[in-house]
Amino acid sequence: MTILTRGAYGEPGTSLAFKTGNWRSTERPVHIHAKAPCHAACPAGEDQQAWFAKLQEGKAEEAWRVLVAANPMPGVTGRVCPHPCESACNRAALDGALAIHNVERWLGDEAVKHGWAYPVDAPAADAPTVAIIGAGPGGLSAAYHAVRNGLRATIYEAGPEAGGLLRSAIPRTRLPREALDAELERLCALPGIDVRFRQRLGRDVSVEELRAEHAAVLLAPGCQEGWEWSVSGAVPADHHEGLALLKEFMDHGQFPSARRVIVHGGGNTAIDLCRLLKRSGVEEVTLVTASALPGPDTDPADVINVVPRELEEALEEEVAVIEHATVNRLVMRGSRITGAEIVSLKKVPGPGGRKKRVSFEGTERVVEVDMVIPCIGERVDPEGLNGLVKRGYLRPDDAWGTLGEKLYALGDARGDRGTVAEAIGDGARVIGAITARLAGAEPLADGRAEMPASGLNPTYYERLPKAKAPKLPIEDRTFDTEIEGDIGGTATMAEAQRCLSCGDCLACDNCWTFCPDNAVIKTVELARDGSHYLFDLDFCKGCGLCAAECPTGYIQMQPEFAVETA
Amino acid sequence: MVDDARLADLRRKFGRAPAAPSEPAPAKRTPREAQPRFRGLESGHRACQGCGEALAARLVVECAGPDVMIANATGCLEVFTTAWPESAWRVPWAHSLFENAAAVASGMEAAMKAKGRNTKVLAFGGDGGTYDIGFQALSGMLERYHNVLYVCYDNEAYMNTGIQRSSSTPHAATTTTSPAGKERMGKRHLKKDLLSIIAAHHIPYTASASVAFPQDLQRKVRHAMGIDGPAFLVVHSPCPLGWRHDSRLTIDVARKAVECGLFPLVELERGALTNVMPIREVRPVADYLKPQGRFAHLFSDDVRAQEERDHLQALADYNIQVYGLTGEGQDPADTGGAAAVGRSGRAPRGNDGAARRVS
Ligand SMILES: Cc1cc2nc3c(=O)[nH]c(=O)nc-3n(C[C@H](O)[C@H](O)[C@H](O)COP(=O)(O)OP(=O)(O)OC[C@H]3O[C@@H](n4cnc5c(N)ncnc54)[C@H](O)[C@@H]3O)c2cc1C
Ligand SMILES: Cc1ncc(C[n+]2csc(CCOP(=O)(O)OP(=O)(O)O)c2C)c(N)n1
Ligand code: SF4
Ligand code: SF4
Ligand code: SF4
Ligand SMILES: [Mg+2]
Repeated sequence: MTILTRGAYGEPGTSLAFKTGNWRSTERPVHIHAKAPCHAACPAGEDQQAWFAKLQEGKAEEAWRVLVAANPMPGVTGRVCPHPCESACNRAALDGALAIHNVERWLGDEAVKHGWAYPVDAPAADAPTVAIIGAGPGGLSAAYHAVRNGLRATIYEAGPEAGGLLRSAIPRTRLPREALDAELERLCALPGIDVRFRQRLGRDVSVEELRAEHAAVLLAPGCQEGWEWSVSGAVPADHHEGLALLKEFMDHGQFPSARRVIVHGGGNTAIDLCRLLKRSGVEEVTLVTASALPGPDTDPADVINVVPRELEEALEEEVAVIEHATVNRLVMRGSRITGAEIVSLKKVPGPGGRKKRVSFEGTERVVEVDMVIPCIGERVDPEGLNGLVKRGYLRPDDAWGTLGEKLYALGDARGDRGTVAEAIGDGARVIGAITARLAGAEPLADGRAEMPASGLNPTYYERLPKAKAPKLPIEDRTFDTEIEGDIGGTATMAEAQRCLSCGDCLACDNCWTFCPDNAVIKTVELARDGSHYLFDLDFCKGCGLCAAECPTGYIQMQPEFAVETA
Repeated sequence: MVDDARLADLRRKFGRAPAAPSEPAPAKRTPREAQPRFRGLESGHRACQGCGEALAARLVVECAGPDVMIANATGCLEVFTTAWPESAWRVPWAHSLFENAAAVASGMEAAMKAKGRNTKVLAFGGDGGTYDIGFQALSGMLERYHNVLYVCYDNEAYMNTGIQRSSSTPHAATTTTSPAGKERMGKRHLKKDLLSIIAAHHIPYTASASVAFPQDLQRKVRHAMGIDGPAFLVVHSPCPLGWRHDSRLTIDVARKAVECGLFPLVELERGALTNVMPIREVRPVADYLKPQGRFAHLFSDDVRAQEERDHLQALADYNIQVYGLTGEGQDPADTGGAAAVGRSGRAPRGNDGAARRVS
């Protein structure tokens, strides 16, 4: 055999002995699971990115299980939530936000259809119990999360059925009763949840009693009482307050007769009422609101606080809107309304940074109407809540809902909420706090940073068209048939492919493929951070290429020193 | 004979851990050993941070190997992979001279043929080694119809000796031998149209690729590997040092070169254009030039700057026209579709990495 002279050859792969990792000077790549903006924006705390990931793998049931780890009512929220997640979605900058609520709804319905089991175990027979007042979305969510955390829950509900405003106020055209019933029945039947109907706080039970018997008492009574409506002058004999009227209609299917109606307010009750009135045959329905309609130049804080789709549909259905205005005075003939005096008004900066409303002299005008319905909001019914109600609401101290020793408030009754998703999120948060405190600790907020669109690399995402839900034509809209339809399984799976996986590894292999130094090692078994990849810092020279080409922002370059001490 | 004492002495002196090639393989595979791809070019090589050439070579060997042998011309790739007594290669590899990679590869191929072996011979060279000094040997290899795949790692200058201009350096780029200054705005001459010259040899396959499109690059390598005869591939490989861009921008810069039309990705068979990667959204040449220090003078107050930028834009437009690079809507094989990834590496919609065929 010929022996080569020294210096003329090297053995294969021996360069591995030379650790180029010490060339890194300032930064090294780190896997950072930042919050997806949809997740950060979701009041119910869903991690949409996580469940879209399961759908991308074609695993619908697993996706649902990830979803309901936060929100047990996707069939409901998929229908009624104003979906701030979609407003936050990073894909908006590319080719349109994901149709998150349509997919969420499909998953919820699919779970009902196939009877997918909620990911909960029966709590121990001697597990600590919590007492919950109110079986609205807030109370139900709290009960569900209690069971998920190994506690037992007893709900005291004044009414004969569960659902709160979901049942008593939200029209069927948005939330069909079959969908609501199906999800709530499954939820109430979970082991460890005991719902007691026709049990009213104040009348049948008291906070003190419950506090003595349970590990914690959770107040989720919602807001059931209308605020007094003050207009100068008389109030008609047959005065109707908006929410009461709506609830009555939900029960009996009838409105008092009128030809021209003004609805005064700027929330979901007002919009729902306008649409139902219009559909029931009222010729002219006008919404008078102090807020503004959404527009390119509208200050977001000034925009009318309703589900955007609902407003859109109301305008489609020819509900008239007078923005930046209020009803000043009623014009009466005897005890009957014949007109309303409207005045322009705006919220302007006032003392102490708070906004104050100013009505502008000289803008008063009288509109002919035969009914004016105020929808100016509701407050907590103080029955049984001796001394706990402050200025109309429970106003707890923190996001966890802490009201006092073993006492918590959640949902609308807090005073700073107003959506189903917030009530659901509160359920999880309150239980999180209780569980932590039972273990002698304090609850921790998720302090992770959010992944902005600027942190992604858009190069790697193919343009994909957004799913569009079918909609009932205006002339076919009634009081029962749902207006927005289902997008179906095929569109759901296609929509899921559009998710950019903001802030979380999608196993695209880019880092593994592009590293000029083979310093990214692919391994399913050993990557402990949820990705499939390891950085071999023995060889990483710190060029930063992987971070630049990571589509999701999951790789970030961090100072060597900071990593060392972290 | 290996002088063991001297070897040990040198190792002590230069502080390198002793290589232990004869050690028995460990029973359990390390994660590195368990990589689901062929590790033809290993870590520990001495390329600069973010080196496009190191990446390109790895991508090529990864899908060409393991049954290959390589003749490598002098240049960065040769130098940074084989710092004596180590080697980053895990395939048979030889270096002889700057100008003779194609000639050495021709001999290796003839030897394989004589031995009745099918091992494919590859020849690697930089742009200096290919467009300039090794060009004659390359032309001969093609003309003699050797069964060799020649890959040129085009970083558009003689990088290993400190950034001297080559005939591949683009017009108006600054190098140490074409400095921008009072006399000139960087290189006076044009980048040589090497592909046309190679294609004129009437060989089965001539193609250009880019590190920014690894799937496309590897598809081209696989295609070339299947050819019984000469094939030529030029891979655009940014050099952060010589192009003076941030090391993290290697892929970004390479991609922009393709997207502006200055580096067209094309395939030619027997001299005829058979395939191009259409550009989904053509970008202005300035997007490509801006991150690179070698073009910084084109963004100065100098009155000649605008003219030179316009010249480069005209060259890109010319490529787009001549090769028909304008995309038609959304094509899975265009620059947008070819880049697309999805969960677990899959593109969300049937992208097989095949570029559009031109008839
Ligand atoms: C017309 C209308 C439309 C709406 N549309 C939407 C929408 O599209 N999207 C959206 O996100 N939100 C909407 N909302 C708001 C949403 O319904 C509420 O934010 C949500 O229901 C609040 O949930 P909760 O559990 O806090 O209270 P509630 O839903 O009000 O439930 C409270 C429950 O507590 C019970 N209760 C009250 N007092 C007692 C007591 N003393 N003892 C025992 N039980 C008691 C009640 O009977 C009720 O069941 C709408 C509201 C209205 C009025
Ligand atoms: C005949 C000869 N002339 C000059 C040199 C010096 N030399 C070594 S590498 C090199 C430049 C290589 O440039 P290129 O082929 O483009 O490869 P790169 O280093 O840019 O990858 C030169 C000029 C040499 N080794 N042999
Ligand atoms: S793209 Fe996906 S992860 Fe990103 S914000 Fe939208 S839904 Fe969330
Ligand atoms: S580049 Fe792809 S595989 Fe690598 S960390 Fe980012 S998302 Fe995950
Ligand atoms: S000089 Fe350029 S080509 Fe050579 S190793 Fe460095 S980056 Fe790579
Ligand atoms: Mg070169």
